[in-house]
Amino acid sequence: MNRIVDLIKKQPIWIFVLVCIVFFSVSSPYFFDLNNFSNILVQASTIGLIALGMTFVMINGNIDLSVGATVALAASLAVGLQSELGIIGAVAVGLMSGIMIGALNGIIAWKTGVDAFIVTLGAMIGVRGLVFIYTDEQSFYAYDLAYSDFGASEIFSIPVLALIFILLTIVAHLILKYTIHGRNVFAVGGNRVAAKEAGIRVGPHMLINFILVGFLAALSGILLSTQMGASTPNLGRNYELWTITAVVLGGTRLTGGFGSIIGTLGGVLAIAILRNGMNLLQVPSFYVLIILGSILIIVLFIDKRFAEQQGQGVGA
Amino acid sequence: MKALLGSFRPGSKNSELSPLQFFGKHGISVAFVLCVVIFSLATDRFLSADNFFTVVMQASIIGTIALGVTFVVIGGNLDLSVGSLLSFATVLVVDLHDKVGPGTAIILMFVFTLLIGAVNGYLIGYLRLNSLIVTLGMLSAIQGITLVYSGGKNVDISDQENTWFAFFGREEFLGIPIPALIFIVLGIALQIVLLKSGFGRKIFAIGGNGTAALFSGLRRNRLVFSTYLLSAFTTGCAALILGSRVMGSQNNVGEGYELLVLAGVILGGTSLLGGSGSIIRTVIGVLILAMIQNGLLLLGYPYYTQWLVTWVVIIVAVWLDIAAKRGKLLSTY
Amino acid sequence: MKVQISSIRTIRSFGKTSLIAGSLALGLSSMAQAETFRIGITQNNVGVDSYQTTYEQAFEEAAEAADNVDAVVLDAGGDVARQISQVRDLIQQQVDVIIIWPTDGQAVVPAVKRAKDAGIPVVVTNSNIAEAGQPLIASFSGPNNIQQGAYAAEMMCDQLGGKGDIVQITGQPGYTTAIERQKGFEDRLPEVCPDVTILDSQPGDWNREKAQRTMEGFLTRYDNIDGVYAADDNMGVGALNAAKSEDRADEIIFIGATNFAVGYEAMERGEYHGSVYQSPAEDARNALNIAIAVAKGEEVEKMSYFDTPKITRENMDEFEKPVF
Repeated sequence: MNRIVDLIKKQPIWIFVLVCIVFFSVSSPYFFDLNNFSNILVQASTIGLIALGMTFVMINGNIDLSVGATVALAASLAVGLQSELGIIGAVAVGLMSGIMIGALNGIIAWKTGVDAFIVTLGAMIGVRGLVFIYTDEQSFYAYDLAYSDFGASEIFSIPVLALIFILLTIVAHLILKYTIHGRNVFAVGGNRVAAKEAGIRVGPHMLINFILVGFLAALSGILLSTQMGASTPNLGRNYELWTITAVVLGGTRLTGGFGSIIGTLGGVLAIAILRNGMNLLQVPSFYVLIILGSILIIVLFIDKRFAEQQGQGVGA
Repeated sequence: MKALLGSFRPGSKNSELSPLQFFGKHGISVAFVLCVVIFSLATDRFLSADNFFTVVMQASIIGTIALGVTFVVIGGNLDLSVGSLLSFATVLVVDLHDKVGPGTAIILMFVFTLLIGAVNGYLIGYLRLNSLIVTLGMLSAIQGITLVYSGGKNVDISDQENTWFAFFGREEFLGIPIPALIFIVLGIALQIVLLKSGFGRKIFAIGGNGTAALFSGLRRNRLVFSTYLLSAFTTGCAALILGSRVMGSQNNVGEGYELLVLAGVILGGTSLLGGSGSIIRTVIGVLILAMIQNGLLLLGYPYYTQWLVTWVVIIVAVWLDIAAKRGKLLSTY
Repeated sequence: MKVQISSIRTIRSFGKTSLIAGSLALGLSSMAQAETFRIGITQNNVGVDSYQTTYEQAFEEAAEAADNVDAVVLDAGGDVARQISQVRDLIQQQVDVIIIWPTDGQAVVPAVKRAKDAGIPVVVTNSNIAEAGQPLIASFSGPNNIQQGAYAAEMMCDQLGGKGDIVQITGQPGYTTAIERQKGFEDRLPEVCPDVTILDSQPGDWNREKAQRTMEGFLTRYDNIDGVYAADDNMGVGALNAAKSEDRADEIIFIGATNFAVGYEAMERGEYHGSVYQSPAEDARNALNIAIAVAKGEEVEKMSYFDTPKITRENMDEFEKPVF
């Protein structure tokens, strides 16, 4: 029992997720349903996959604003190149583009010492430009139906996209919790100078995390494009904001040094459940914006109170 | 990240500037001149009085907002809600124009815009919540409020020819378009406030290394609060220009402006860590972005090529700036 | 039936507070299932411009007036991914028909396929989906946008007297309506007016302020512009604003599409020269009627266009001023 109380104190977002589930189950007959839960998981997977990588970057004390543009770049390449390279080749190029953008961000942040916020703000604007140049402002359509069939496929009646998300969440959790790299993520985020003195190669370490989030953003974009069987140049707009929101709701501090994958999963699910539930209840879209914005601020407020009670300091 | 800043070596104290330091200090001005020269050589349409005012006009909306946001950033915070707030203020002033007359509409617009600024300021200044997340939440909430207010419809001013509201966006004084004039005058006034007033010095102090600002908590809270009032105020001024220019408004008119504003502020060399920055440099930063946009379009490049150039310019400018401060081109960690 | 609809409205207006009313209404709805059609609609981006907002209101009014319809009204906020989620949610609720206003003509095709596979017919409204999706849909209901582009070309040609240099401000890149209006215009123009040249085309994203800036760029770049074609009046009026501030409006012919109130007024003042009259209320009612017919299992036309005539200064008295 104590452990549960402990967990709840550490992960207040999960209380919120539970409250949402109970509320929507009572108020909509369509909500509490296995099919709907797998819907929610698929809907959560897009932001969720990016959020896994973002958690590493943000615990590091960095941030990546370019993920939304990377989503569009990877999706456009993976769909647009299919006629020349086939599905496998095009997807590989798409994933590679995410790795490259991540590496570029990481190297710039490492070598120039420019704040990650600025580096990736620049990339967010510039990568979107690359997408528009490559696509010539057009949407692409995957002529091979096998591509969109994959996005709709299921194993044991669980959507493949949801399975991929769950699997990678577990992998990310294990890496963060039980590997040397994972421990270094916290050390670097907690105190960069001390981490350097302790022998951690801070620059390359951060580079790996930028590559990780770039890769996951590309994967997320490609999986999203399999759901659509198409890509659009405007794909992924504002995803960086929703991803950061999910990660922060999950208890990761923007100052770095503190956070968890379990919390991030809670943050991602909270947003997905809210959206799904409000759709089922037909809350007008104008109010959805107000509700989401207010909840974000309220959760931030509550989280701060929790943190202060436990003497974890001010997360400002 | 503050720890990181501490690890930088302070630059040498020689009065002779190394090339690196020269670029750090005057890099933004050099970039500005470079932009003018390159575009002037590339197209003869660039360097004309007409086009010059077009650039300043197009920069004036983002630029006016950036003036207030510069104070917020110097104070060590961010404001991502200004894009939504611009939509809100523009819709409000345009919609009220026909209902209560231009004068009252402008007053009401400023009242409600400052009220929202005060909410930002209270949450960040007094409750000390993280500014990135609070203003992100406000970005969404204000957009919703705007849509609820207008019912999702465009708003228009019906009699566009005979209203003095046209003054802010469509008229000229001594050949200078009023939007450019608002931007310039407000810029000069706020530069004086920032450099010569006690208020300005205190903003630098609270944004600088936290412990150095030996203010009582209450005074710090009030100062942060006031920076958000200021950014709401300049956003309101931008809404006057925008509403008057278009004589109507869509509900998402300011979408994405927050990042362009921030790009201008950053390009001007204001540090996101707070404690340093300058209004004049913000103005130059915003003008560079507008020139890139204008120049590339004049050269016949599609509009999205400006985004690539912006990417490079932002990173190179900020890199040179901090490289000069640490006295080394590459970072040491 | 009225009871049920009004209590659903209660949930909508109070958001999530009225729990009890919600479950009550839903209880009633399952009892009355036999004679009622549940029709779900996912719209493109309500609130981005007045056309879409007026459409939504007209749709809700029409749905309320019809005594056999229970409407589920959703909005994708312009985001393709969200629209796909909403189609999933509608399939989950097992509505009888899904009406979709595509955020993107290409990208929603698999979502439409998924609905069809689940046995739910799909009606596309306002802006069509890509060729590949055509076999999957029950019907398209909306304006004929290619025809509208052709109309605009003809009006431009008439007004210019067959000769001149023009610029084009297109809608949002990738959006079917934008593509079709551009295609219709560009295909028809050389047929009727081989001596009219299109100097430049840039997107205005259906946004007046963006169109105004685009036009400022055109005016700086080109010393002589005889005509502007904007893919809707909202953008056309933005272009007019820009030309007026440069004192060049008198020498330019402005042709738009989707006549907005501001365009209508500018036409009254003689500053704006032609547009295409398109009523969002008719658009909405047409879509709902088709959807009801599909739900009943009736035969419907694959392409159900509603009439969108030319409107110019000469015949504008025949049309009421648009409400949006």
